[in-house]
Amino acid sequence: MWAYIIRRVLATIPVMAFVALFVFSLLYLAPGDPAAVIAGDQATPDDVERIRASLGLDRPYLVRFSEWVFRILQGDLGTSIFTNLPVGHMIAQRIEPTLSLMIVTLCLALSIAIPMGVVAAWKQGTWIDRAVMGFAVLGFSVPVFVVGYLLAYVFALELDWFPVQGYTPFAQGFFPWIENLVLPAVALGGVYIALIARITRATMLEVLQQDYIRTARAKGAGQSSILFLHALKNAAVPIVTVVGIGIALLIGGAVVTESVFAIPGLGRLTVDAILRRDYPVIQGVVLLFSFVYVLVNLGIDLLYTFLDPRIRY
Amino acid sequence: MERRNLLKGAVAAATVTAAAPAISQNAAARTLRFVPQANLANFDPIWGTQYVVRNAAAAVWDTLYGVDENLVPQRQMVEGETVSSDGLTWEFRLRPGLIFHDGTPVLAKDVVASINRWAPRDPMGQMLRAIQDELVAVDDRNFRWKLKRPYPKMKYALGKCGTPCCFIMPERIAATAGNSMISEYVGSGPMTFKRDEWVPGARAVFEKFGRYTPREGAASWLAGGKRILVDRLEWVVMPDPATAANALQAGEVDWWESPISDLVPLLRRNRNILVDIADPLGNIGSFRMNHLHAPFNNLKVRQAVMMALSQEDYMRAVVGSDTALWSVLGGFFTPGTSSYSEAGGEVMKRSNMEGAKRLLAESGYANEPVTCLVGQDQPLLKPMGDVTADLLRRLGMNVDFVATDWGTVGQRRAVRNPPGQGGWSMFHTWHAGADCVNPAGYNAVRANGDGAWFGWPSVPAVEAGVAEWFDAPTAETEKAAIDKINRAAVENVVYAPTGFFKSYQAWRRNVSGVVKGPLPFFWGVSKT
Repeated sequence: MWAYIIRRVLATIPVMAFVALFVFSLLYLAPGDPAAVIAGDQATPDDVERIRASLGLDRPYLVRFSEWVFRILQGDLGTSIFTNLPVGHMIAQRIEPTLSLMIVTLCLALSIAIPMGVVAAWKQGTWIDRAVMGFAVLGFSVPVFVVGYLLAYVFALELDWFPVQGYTPFAQGFFPWIENLVLPAVALGGVYIALIARITRATMLEVLQQDYIRTARAKGAGQSSILFLHALKNAAVPIVTVVGIGIALLIGGAVVTESVFAIPGLGRLTVDAILRRDYPVIQGVVLLFSFVYVLVNLGIDLLYTFLDPRIRY
Repeated sequence: MERRNLLKGAVAAATVTAAAPAISQNAAARTLRFVPQANLANFDPIWGTQYVVRNAAAAVWDTLYGVDENLVPQRQMVEGETVSSDGLTWEFRLRPGLIFHDGTPVLAKDVVASINRWAPRDPMGQMLRAIQDELVAVDDRNFRWKLKRPYPKMKYALGKCGTPCCFIMPERIAATAGNSMISEYVGSGPMTFKRDEWVPGARAVFEKFGRYTPREGAASWLAGGKRILVDRLEWVVMPDPATAANALQAGEVDWWESPISDLVPLLRRNRNILVDIADPLGNIGSFRMNHLHAPFNNLKVRQAVMMALSQEDYMRAVVGSDTALWSVLGGFFTPGTSSYSEAGGEVMKRSNMEGAKRLLAESGYANEPVTCLVGQDQPLLKPMGDVTADLLRRLGMNVDFVATDWGTVGQRRAVRNPPGQGGWSMFHTWHAGADCVNPAGYNAVRANGDGAWFGWPSVPAVEAGVAEWFDAPTAETEKAAIDKINRAAVENVVYAPTGFFKSYQAWRRNVSGVVKGPLPFFWGVSKT
């Protein structure tokens, strides 16, 4: 097991190296000029050129790439072109809101989607099943920003139950923290709930046809015991896989959700950096996301061994 | 009390004393939450010239002079000045009691260092440097600026509100090279910048500087007594206008600098919100042509476009049907100011498509593609681009519509190659009316060829008018120079204005003291 973990961790190095090369090259080739954005619209061409030179953007690709890689190897993600702040510091400022949003969304999604999928499979063909699948279709179809605006209008503006926007750090108390996250988590969680509920239902339907379920029934096991102990445990591997893949959905959705609810997280940092061509920030955030994604996949692979003892590495 | 607060209060009542909510409400009343027009991504008002940086910097750093609402420069940090009879030597004396936010006094050497950092970045500063003999601190409170020839616009240069402003910083910070960003934000103005609470892209916080000594009298734009009436100012960056509108309605923010016109009717319906014009000097839309390459290196083609152009079409597309917000221009300078001129500008005021087609035919236009760069991510520029594409096609021109983002426009417009080799033919932008009140900060109207703004027009008559304006000793001679510039700019189509438009600002009814101006002024603003 440990050998496997070490192998997988080592395997992340070429993956990260490829991501780094790809991101740097893509940004180098992409049109756009941070110097022009910094200089402002009224700046003269000379002003823009001066800023470009001061940022080192006029140097050759290989020089810039090798410098960047050298810094990365030292754990330095560089300095933002626009703020003059270290990228690591900017990411640290923004990581808590995004992490909080993802955790709350994940908890919300799992606690709703798995029971929904189980019940839909159990009541296959009934109105409950159709209602759950109808919800799943809605979850997939309605964009996050539409759900976000609707929730903000109803629950923040009309009912005044939650704030419209913003984020309160956890350190300032659980209530203010969760109050700011409920609506964004529901908006972001919609598609995630739909995905997990559908997979749970499909897997459960397959598992419920197995002989050992029939045996459990014959031995007199109760319905909930059959569903949640016997069936769900055996259906867990595909569900966990989808939960892992869904992390990517969450990262993508967080960009929109953070904009709609004005949450100062990594999603907004990424969008702002892309629009302004703040190369060091884009590179740092993409590297971070890639690393997180690789780690999540590793974690899921390891989780398989606990869920299914037949799996060995 | 709002419902959510009521619910919170009910929960809190079980655990805390009754006094706590009262303290909380007082604290809230001392904090002004403001939604700025854009993100405060950096905080060096000399290194970059974005308006949002200038707006924040105006609260943190003071200026030697400041323009009032009549655009007249008034003394601000300066107590007085004397000018020699030949106009060559200016001697300035600083007000007593000026201190920086780190508690050190503002000295003449700080002022000299600040001017030295500002001047190379500013068009007026560059002119002053070109004629500078010496700029020295005489003692702690006095400094002298000797010139090789008179410069009547000295006080305006040091007090204008166009970017970059001549903000006064401590000498050690002002010593930072102009190519590098400052990393210490020790101000001289009425508010301090809380660097530890700054989250670029999300939040910037300012606090009242208790040791700031305002001038006597009432504040008027950048001039007068800058009295801060709240303890804390929080800038809350909201990239999404709908979220900002919701937050203002819910009372989560107090003042929104630039609501989009689509949302203004919604805000007007809310009895807790006031809406008014933000900046009486507004903005001038621009159809900027590349004078270096075909087809717009041909004067008749440029004239044909200006003749065909309907400013009303642009304004209705950009601003909407609220005619209180826009008007058609007959000149290049800001309407409503003493410098506005319609000399030679009759052709700008109404579209003449048939005449334009005849002119285009006479020009010898050979169906060269017009490469239009349109920043689709800018709410003002996308509709302008759409109107232009339609206008040029109706005129009979071959349109190469490049739908891109503003970052790419910013890069490509600096390319001087022909359109087919990475260059361009035209792009849209807009100019703040505050910059267009005279030629001092109005880069877009300058026509000095290689030294001109993007498009590089070369029109000696315009430049002669500009020189006359800088040397003009009286208001009458200034006006004559402006008329000359306007006439030459129209005849040669330095660029084509697409109309004059204003925008709204909105604030909660419990906020008072909000004034109209080219930037948000936080002095005199209070909250109950």
